[in-house]
Amino acid sequence: MINQFAESFAGLPVFDFTEETELTGLPEPESVAWRLRIADYVEEFEPFQKLFASFLEHVDTARVGALLFGNWGPTYDVASNKPLGLLTDAAERFPNLRAFFFAEFLQEEAEISWIMHDDITPLFTTFGGLEEVVVRGGSGLSLEPLKAPSLKSLRFESGGLPGGVVRAVGASDFPALESLELWLGVEDYGGTSSVEDLAPILSGERLPALRELGLQNSAFQDRIAAAVAGAPIVARLEALSLSMGSLTDEGAEALLSGQPLGHLARLDLHHHYMSDAMMERIVKALPGVAVNVDDQNDPEDDWRYVEVAE
Amino acid sequence: MRLTVVGTPGDRRVTLFAAACARAGLAAPLVVPWRDVLGGRPLTVEGMLRIDSPGEDAEANALLRGPGDAARIGGGARWYRTFLDGLDRLRPYPSFADVGDIAVMFDKRASHARLAAAGVPVPPALGPVGGYAELRERMAETGFHRVFVKPAHGSSASGVIALQAAGGRIRAQTSAARDAEGWYNSLKVRAYTDEHEIALLVDALAPDGLHVERWFPKAALAGRVFDLRVVVVAGEPTHAVARTSRAPMTNLHLGGQRGDLAAVRAAIAWDAAMDVCARAAACFPNSTMVGVDLLVGVGMRGFAVAEVNAFGDLLPNLTGLPGTSAEGRDVYDAQVAAYLRTSGEVAVQG
Repeated sequence: MINQFAESFAGLPVFDFTEETELTGLPEPESVAWRLRIADYVEEFEPFQKLFASFLEHVDTARVGALLFGNWGPTYDVASNKPLGLLTDAAERFPNLRAFFFAEFLQEEAEISWIMHDDITPLFTTFGGLEEVVVRGGSGLSLEPLKAPSLKSLRFESGGLPGGVVRAVGASDFPALESLELWLGVEDYGGTSSVEDLAPILSGERLPALRELGLQNSAFQDRIAAAVAGAPIVARLEALSLSMGSLTDEGAEALLSGQPLGHLARLDLHHHYMSDAMMERIVKALPGVAVNVDDQNDPEDDWRYVEVAE
Repeated sequence: MRLTVVGTPGDRRVTLFAAACARAGLAAPLVVPWRDVLGGRPLTVEGMLRIDSPGEDAEANALLRGPGDAARIGGGARWYRTFLDGLDRLRPYPSFADVGDIAVMFDKRASHARLAAAGVPVPPALGPVGGYAELRERMAETGFHRVFVKPAHGSSASGVIALQAAGGRIRAQTSAARDAEGWYNSLKVRAYTDEHEIALLVDALAPDGLHVERWFPKAALAGRVFDLRVVVVAGEPTHAVARTSRAPMTNLHLGGQRGDLAAVRAAIAWDAAMDVCARAAACFPNSTMVGVDLLVGVGMRGFAVAEVNAFGDLLPNLTGLPGTSAEGRDVYDAQVAAYLRTSGEVAVQG
């Protein structure tokens, strides 16, 4: 949902901390997830720097567990290493940070591919206690392979996730990771990954705790479905999502003729190009699995869109 | 009380209004066709005027814009000049609408200026732009990366462009499309990323006048952005619909849908929203009815008036907001009631 703010994050209600926020009567630091964002339209980065300084001044950030960074002003001229730098430079002020949502810009504020990122490895190396991370936007994004022993949930939301990021995820050690979602996107917006890049994830070797897997928003969703159909990790999953992409009857057929999926609690295929007949077949074939086949697009359409691109 | 409607005989607006007159026990209103007003034919008027839209009448449209395909874009300046001449012909008659107000509402630059001067929240405007090159210069000067470009005299999102540009990238979303004949209004919002194509469109629209505003980031509900059309009758916001879309434009003919008004009411500061609409309407004090397009900011905070529409009441089968004087009644009933209150007459039931 890239046009509405998250109302909760990391199990906590989100509290908006903007330049307009009343600084008296703030909630207890650990009781909310704090979203720092500029409410007004600004073209400079300074207001966000001031907002962050005000946050440090008025909130006992040592007790803050969950944090979101939203609109920091210019997205195109200021890459995300600047706001990320504010946080990593103040790392000693956040000894208990366990959840971070990076770049929660709404579509009406900035299209997802217009959020300029940079290397986000320092987020993970600085805050070893992170359990939940969401990153919105893939442009300019890079990541080195990680060892993140505490990380339980990781989601990359993007209209084009660089292949290097997908490969870094595959090469990382995530012994505690329970949920992994990758919005792979399309090549036009920097989505340069391939099915081969997903192999280390699908093998599950470095993901012993994984229970929920989303390989979504892809222009080659059928080939992902075919790869998933024979992937070792699937037997351990409770939830699988191949949603938001260009899934057609071909990919669905591959899923149905692959390994059994009846153990899943949820199979999310929403936003797809399957026929009515295939939608019915897949739902009937998996009784006891909550199969989401909402948001059908015209299977006859020559152009197949992913849900989030621009 | 006898009323005369300036409109298009037989169209929905006129029929719906006549039905409301009948419900109030009033005689069937006389109809003066816009084509007669615009064509300089003699006019027969009885009682007070209600001025409605000239839309949907091919002959009136041809008089307003000159001959040509109704879907084509452009010709707004000529349309507006002819429309003003028509309004001038109506000026001598006592009216529930105000021809001066209508003239301002059909010029987005003048309307924006009037609202801003009255302290009604509106997105900041970029000032006059004469073409694409000047548009980009002004955007660079002001730091507005994201703007709405609107033909000054357009309606129904015709020619409106949601434009974003930064770092050498550009993207324009618009219902305008081009064929061998030129630009026309399609029923689909497309995205253009080729600067040359976008420049062609802006330069095609610019001679008829452009109004450019900063893009006000809109709130969303259930995954779709929304805005509100609020009808204000005699100063009171009486009817509202939420319009939702996945595209930046929410117009129903462009794939917008009616949204869940109760959910919107629960999510926003409703009384404050209605107050903004009433203040916008108060900028047009001699107009019994205006339709205000209200934007709600992301996070359900902040409001901005996108437009005030002189003929913004075509909302059939919509009943008035609970607690208002129009509760349970449609927009036309509400206006007839306001007319009767204003003229101090009591309808004779019959």
